[in-house]
Amino acid sequence: MLQPSNSAPDRWHRSGEVLPFYLYAALSFLVGTGMLCWYSGDFLGHYFNPSLLAITHIMALGWGTMIILGASHQLVPVIIEAALYSRILAFSSFWLAAIGIPMLVYGFYRFDMGLPAKLGGTLILLAVLCFVINLACSINRSKTENIQAVFIFTAALWLLSTVAVGLVLVVNFSVTLLPANSVDYLSLHAHMGLVGWFLLLTIGVGSRLIPMFLISKFQHNPLLYWIYALINIGLIGFVLLFVYNGHVYLNYFPLLLILMAILLFVGFCYQSWRNRLRKSVDDPMKISLLSLILVAIPALLLVVVLILLIGLDSVPARLINLYGFLLFFGWLSSLILGMTFKTLTFIVWNKVYHSLLGKIKPPNPKDLYKNKVLQVMGYCFISGLLLFGLGIGFALPVLLRTGALLLLLTACLYNWNILYIMNHKATI
Amino acid sequence: MELITNNKLLSTIALAALQQVEDPEIGLNVVDLGLIYQLDFNEDTNQLFCSMTLTTQFCPMGASIRDSCEAGLQHAFPSYSIEVQLSFDPPWSADRISSAGRAFLDR
Repeated sequence: MLQPSNSAPDRWHRSGEVLPFYLYAALSFLVGTGMLCWYSGDFLGHYFNPSLLAITHIMALGWGTMIILGASHQLVPVIIEAALYSRILAFSSFWLAAIGIPMLVYGFYRFDMGLPAKLGGTLILLAVLCFVINLACSINRSKTENIQAVFIFTAALWLLSTVAVGLVLVVNFSVTLLPANSVDYLSLHAHMGLVGWFLLLTIGVGSRLIPMFLISKFQHNPLLYWIYALINIGLIGFVLLFVYNGHVYLNYFPLLLILMAILLFVGFCYQSWRNRLRKSVDDPMKISLLSLILVAIPALLLVVVLILLIGLDSVPARLINLYGFLLFFGWLSSLILGMTFKTLTFIVWNKVYHSLLGKIKPPNPKDLYKNKVLQVMGYCFISGLLLFGLGIGFALPVLLRTGALLLLLTACLYNWNILYIMNHKATI
Repeated sequence: MELITNNKLLSTIALAALQQVEDPEIGLNVVDLGLIYQLDFNEDTNQLFCSMTLTTQFCPMGASIRDSCEAGLQHAFPSYSIEVQLSFDPPWSADRISSAGRAFLDR
């Protein structure tokens, strides 16, 4: 018996609450890479440095978080088969974060944890709160239950915790709230965000999008539940060890659990790839899949960091800088650089052509961007990443500058293509 | 690729019209993809009912593909009232792809 359903697909029409997130993220990437060029030499020093803190927060909040928040507002209703609870909350989330992020980054850049940094941090916290409430109410409306929604909601809760801890750390610079200096809590704050928010969310969304765009029928929900459990147990374990001053040896256990989760997800993607129906894979998917390789390098670096911590009781600051650089500019950026051209094109295509269907023959979504520009962007990205990474590793300023310039060029080409897509008009 | 229909002659015309509608992401038409489940004609009341599916329930182009099918059928049967309904039960399976569709995807 054929059962009718007209629920999910209509939800790709609305784009007003999503496009500003994409535009803001693209501009943040440009600013982040611009600062990388200007302050490339600082990557040879200690990571607790105004310019590095500013770059990290532009990349983590302005680039990574903003685009994920935007894409989530579009994807979540489709995944949970229910309308977004509130467009007002979505817009509030955008504006609060859009104002708060530059204030916080300015605070770090000036190394002044006064009013702008505190107010910026508070606005970001409110923005995330709006997002979490919107997500919870939307999921509550849904009649279906799926693993992707569980991933996304848990990731949102980790983001809320990360931002709350971040705000406490900012305030702790001027008013004593914590027993130790804020710097001592940086690894807790960073890993709650990296693993709890970015890793959990990208795996949750990726487990839906990767098979969908590869046109693969591979699905394995029990495997996804295992990945979910491993990441969360690992991260909670790390937090508990941190809070209760567990021995550094014990940190291998959370790391091992999270590495296992990453390996299982790589296996999931490999199976999706093997079971794909369409043999040719387009360039945006290739760039996104590159992130699976790029996440392995910092993960291995973390093992080295732990070995050094046990053996030498200290870690060279450059190694930490390389770890952070590879996570934000490598893994996260490759995922976003690719997926933007798989999601934004659909959003704009639906906005421009939906009302014209049957009247004209629309182009394919892939025709909304310039593939040549995307390919050059991909080459600039890979070579820039490699040179800058080697520059940190071998302490060579010339490699740092060349790598940073190539990454800035990547951001310019990305922004050009984003504006090209957003300005697309139907030709009748 | 199995199609349920109560009028083989008219369904041939309908399928020819639907072959002009592509899944924009894949670039293959909805007939060769095996997305069309059922075509029912009521010649007394001039009504055409089409039941179709999508390769995935989360397809971002779902509404557009459905509306394009509706527009294509309306063009082929101007005097008919057209109803296109999405169904995910049974879900789409790769076995529904035609041999021409497989050749296209293998390229």
